[in-house]
Amino acid sequence: MTQGKIVAGFVAPHPPHLVYAENPPQNEPRAQGGWEPLRWAYERARKSIEALKPDVLLVHSPHWTTLVGHHFLGVPRLSGKSVDPIFPNLFRYQFDMTVDVALAEACCAETQELGLTAKMMRNPNFRVDYGTITTLHMIRPQWDIPVVGISANNSPYYLDLNTGVEQMETLGKATRRAIEKSGKRAVLLCSNTFSHYHFQEEPEIPEDMSREHPQSYQGYQWDMRMIELMRKGEIREVMRLFPQWVEEAFAEVKSGAFPWMIAAMDYPSIPAELHGYGTVIGTGNAVMEWRLAA
Amino acid sequence: MPVVSAFLVPGNPLPLLKEDNAPWAALAQAARAAGDVLRQSKPDVLLIYSTQWIAVLDELWQTRPHSTGLHVDENWYAFGDLQMDLRADVALAKACIDAASAAGIRSKPVDYDGFPIDTGTIVANAFLNPGGKIPAVVASNNLYHDFAKTETLGKLAAAQANKHDKRAAVIAIGGLSASYFDRDIDISHDHIVNAADDQANRTLLEAMTRGGAGALRDAVGHYNGSAKGDMGMKHLAWLLGGVGDFKRAVVHGYGATYGAGAAVVEFQLS
Repeated sequence: MTQGKIVAGFVAPHPPHLVYAENPPQNEPRAQGGWEPLRWAYERARKSIEALKPDVLLVHSPHWTTLVGHHFLGVPRLSGKSVDPIFPNLFRYQFDMTVDVALAEACCAETQELGLTAKMMRNPNFRVDYGTITTLHMIRPQWDIPVVGISANNSPYYLDLNTGVEQMETLGKATRRAIEKSGKRAVLLCSNTFSHYHFQEEPEIPEDMSREHPQSYQGYQWDMRMIELMRKGEIREVMRLFPQWVEEAFAEVKSGAFPWMIAAMDYPSIPAELHGYGTVIGTGNAVMEWRLAA
Repeated sequence: MPVVSAFLVPGNPLPLLKEDNAPWAALAQAARAAGDVLRQSKPDVLLIYSTQWIAVLDELWQTRPHSTGLHVDENWYAFGDLQMDLRADVALAKACIDAASAAGIRSKPVDYDGFPIDTGTIVANAFLNPGGKIPAVVASNNLYHDFAKTETLGKLAAAQANKHDKRAAVIAIGGLSASYFDRDIDISHDHIVNAADDQANRTLLEAMTRGGAGALRDAVGHYNGSAKGDMGMKHLAWLLGGVGDFKRAVVHGYGATYGAGAAVVEFQLS
């Protein structure tokens, strides 16, 4: 069997506003556009996915928070209606996904092998979180590629940040090992916003873009600094600054998806491609790609 | 009409999902006992605040007339499914939304098919209000609201119930110490994760039993300094806002839910 490989990794944030603004048939609410630059960024990412032809998409979502270990979706097909508990007015989405259970089990086993607690989620009635769904929809709205869904263990918040990040990096290494043994072409999706400072009241018209801008200048400055480092391929410097970024930009990457993905890609020194950046209720969102293989 | 009863109940689903596990059975029995007391108080409406219904934009209030369906907890899915069965007092909830907005706390109704009622509300409703017979006003836990603002919400909810001539039971859903075991444990030996949390929980419960809203407010302040209380114990702020004051409390049960503190407490108002 050919050795599997990670062909690309994407920062693929999950504001449900992006699905809402696109008006796909799966989502009940209707919008009059909004957040176009970010949706155009995802259009570019979708073209990359089309060109890469991966066998599987792996997504790490901060909106499936688990207390005891790292969990993997383990039901072959999951479907239902996902209503976002935070933004139910924007996201009421009929999802239907095929899970690559074999790869999920392999990732789980490798994670356990590296000393972390890991579990398979086998409950067929499980409601997949909106972060996972939004990222997957925005990157591949056809839903024709099997997925591996990974929870965000609470360790970066419950323990100290460094310990939590170490866990996520270990999870990334385990993920890489499993992919290599699988023989599959895999794409990793880090479902994270960068600066997570946001407004606390919603505009009457959520897609009124006259109300959209960075909530925090400091958060915006951090986002630009980190994006520039990523564009230069200076990922080690990004990781060195990671704790400060998390602290000063209230960055959602704290939840672990970013260190998971970067470690799985073995800290790539290639420049990342920025497909686009924009704010959603004031938070900073970048769609970025590290292309590791043709 | 007055607030007729008030309770603190845990939102963790383990006592409901696995009642045959001894450490959790006592909490389940305590919650059912509290349900008996609640029904004896003959409330027309439950005023519910659950730490697990998280909001970040505006204050959300449940206005779906009847929420049903299966719910699977994102952590404890292996122990089984939960059945949603919640009826909203829509008119009263809308009155609370208007009152909260008038008080400067921007509020919105939530009336959507398939909305995931939070685990805590489902669990408490199953224990205290089986079959969802008593309608409820359910308010979210906005992460940016502090103890004082949450107390304001509880106060205005109780005031609106009074204005609508409804006997209200105030329900605070949440835990005590929030630290937990982050590894697999033998659940038959579940216990509070450390002695300091256990002691802090017991001290807080003693303050409840002695009675007095002011004293309990002070005790919560100390408690939050010594233990990592569930969401800063804002569910107690809701309760204190709703009842104004209380004479004493009866602890029906205290124990651990995977290392975190949980208690069922009846607050006696007269």
